[in-house]
Amino acid sequence: MIKQNFKNKVSELPNYIKSWAKTFTGGLTLFTLIAFIFLPFLSPNQNFLYVFVRQFTLAMIYSIFAASWDLLTGISGQISFGHSIFFGIAGYLCAYLISYQNFPIWVAFIIGALGAVFFGLIIGVPCLRLKGPYLALGTLAFSLILLKLFLMGSLAFIFFGSEGISGLPRIAPNPIIEYFIIFISMIAIFIIIFQIVKSKFGTILKAIRDDEMGADASGVNTTRYKAYAFMLSALFAGIAGSFYALYIGAVNPSGNFGSVISFFAILMASLGGLTTISGSALGAFFFIFLEYSLIQIGFENYVFLIFSIILIIVVRFAEHGILRPVLERLKDMWDILLGR
Amino acid sequence: MGVILEVKNLTKKYGGLTAVNDFSFEIKRGEFVGLIGPNGAGKTTVFNLISGFEKPSSGRIRFDGIDITGMRPFKIVNLGIARTFQLVRSFKFLSLLDNITVPCLSERGKKLTKKVGTEAHASSILASVGLIDKARIPPVILPHGDLRKLQIGKALGTNPELLLLDEPFSGLSHEEGVVITELIKNLHDDGVTIFMTGHVLRELMTLVPRVIAMHQGRFIIDAPPQEVASNKIVLEAYLGRGGEFA
Repeated sequence: MIKQNFKNKVSELPNYIKSWAKTFTGGLTLFTLIAFIFLPFLSPNQNFLYVFVRQFTLAMIYSIFAASWDLLTGISGQISFGHSIFFGIAGYLCAYLISYQNFPIWVAFIIGALGAVFFGLIIGVPCLRLKGPYLALGTLAFSLILLKLFLMGSLAFIFFGSEGISGLPRIAPNPIIEYFIIFISMIAIFIIIFQIVKSKFGTILKAIRDDEMGADASGVNTTRYKAYAFMLSALFAGIAGSFYALYIGAVNPSGNFGSVISFFAILMASLGGLTTISGSALGAFFFIFLEYSLIQIGFENYVFLIFSIILIIVVRFAEHGILRPVLERLKDMWDILLGR
Repeated sequence: MGVILEVKNLTKKYGGLTAVNDFSFEIKRGEFVGLIGPNGAGKTTVFNLISGFEKPSSGRIRFDGIDITGMRPFKIVNLGIARTFQLVRSFKFLSLLDNITVPCLSERGKKLTKKVGTEAHASSILASVGLIDKARIPPVILPHGDLRKLQIGKALGTNPELLLLDEPFSGLSHEEGVVITELIKNLHDDGVTIFMTGHVLRELMTLVPRVIAMHQGRFIIDAPPQEVASNKIVLEAYLGRGGEFA
């Protein structure tokens, strides 16, 4: 029966996609995706390929990371201020296996992401007794402990000290191939997260977010579901972390474990709009290109200052992020264009 | 009819304050029992102890012969005790249908949904509490009476044998109260054992055939409503000493 169900779903898929593409958000998404596919071919210029296209690749890696944070905090209501834990662990594990154990890139990549899941479990379990702001503090403390451990010179023989590991191979030598590998991964991960949010499992996560006591009174094992949320979020954060390590070609404590990395995720997801998931992508692209432009005009020291001010303004005037208001404006304009 | 709930020497202390003091009673399967007492008598604490949200300082609670003292709330729910809260709680940003879906996905709720499917089952519960026309609305914009109905619907999602209703009438208009009364009566007719609290005597007295009264955490009397209403200690608890105006 399940097989039959699945077959039905597959045969309905083309129709589903057709009707989806005709809706406003569907059409817009499709348009954006097509734009993304053509983007790297716009110019054969080396500078364009190695700087501009790679900035897009970086933004996509951060999109995955911010979306993983949104899944844990926006959807499941478990506030994490230490998401760099998963990002860093995966990156380090991946780098270590490639440089010191000669693992093939993709095996190391997968083990790195799974290592993050494992950390999601061992950090999740003690932290799950904490609620709200205390959970945020607990995760922050954990990430600071890890950062210190990895920075310690006396433990450099285990954690490689402040130097980290460098000289990693690229995901692909050609930036266009690198771009597409990460693009496809990002699309796949976003589809998976959307399906999780829409599923019954997602409904339970949202119920725990809205009223944990009520979920308990509804017979839901809240601890178990929160642990699942931690592990899933850690998986996606780990994938982003492994990608990031390979993208940069090196790992070091402050670059992969720093609190700044955790705040990147929070800033991007909140700017785009909590619980929207796709808002994380918008926030990430906004952040990366703002940073890029500021560096171009010589303001690299003010990136955080300016971004924080923007975040304060966004939180003050559009507390649900910029994605929904922007989409609504676009839809109004679209309707006017079509004369509706 | 067997005993479904057995509470023995239940005591709950918060520091120096004893909220529930050596409280014992039994409820038989299919009964309809009220728990009364003035504000602060310890009614909600008794419910919290039975449903596992608080752990007793001493004493035992048995449900259907199983010792459930100190068990975690979700386990107790999956054994067959559902409860509602005095202050309405809901999954604020989920639709009403999803609000009912969550308990239907619990271990115990799942058993019922296997045949018909979760959504169909949740819809039928929503229909039985009279909220089916609002299935897609989130509860944040509902009036209070509808939230009370939703609470009962959420409890029904777990297919309870024993339903604990904590002040189901508080904050309701007379008309809303009548609707809820009907709903509770129907549930009892369907065979659900009901144990409910109330601090207003009049509403409860007309509904239940048996009343347990408590005051300052202590057991006072367990009797039919008329007898409880004429009990001297109960009257004193509600009206103070010399309550001849009752």
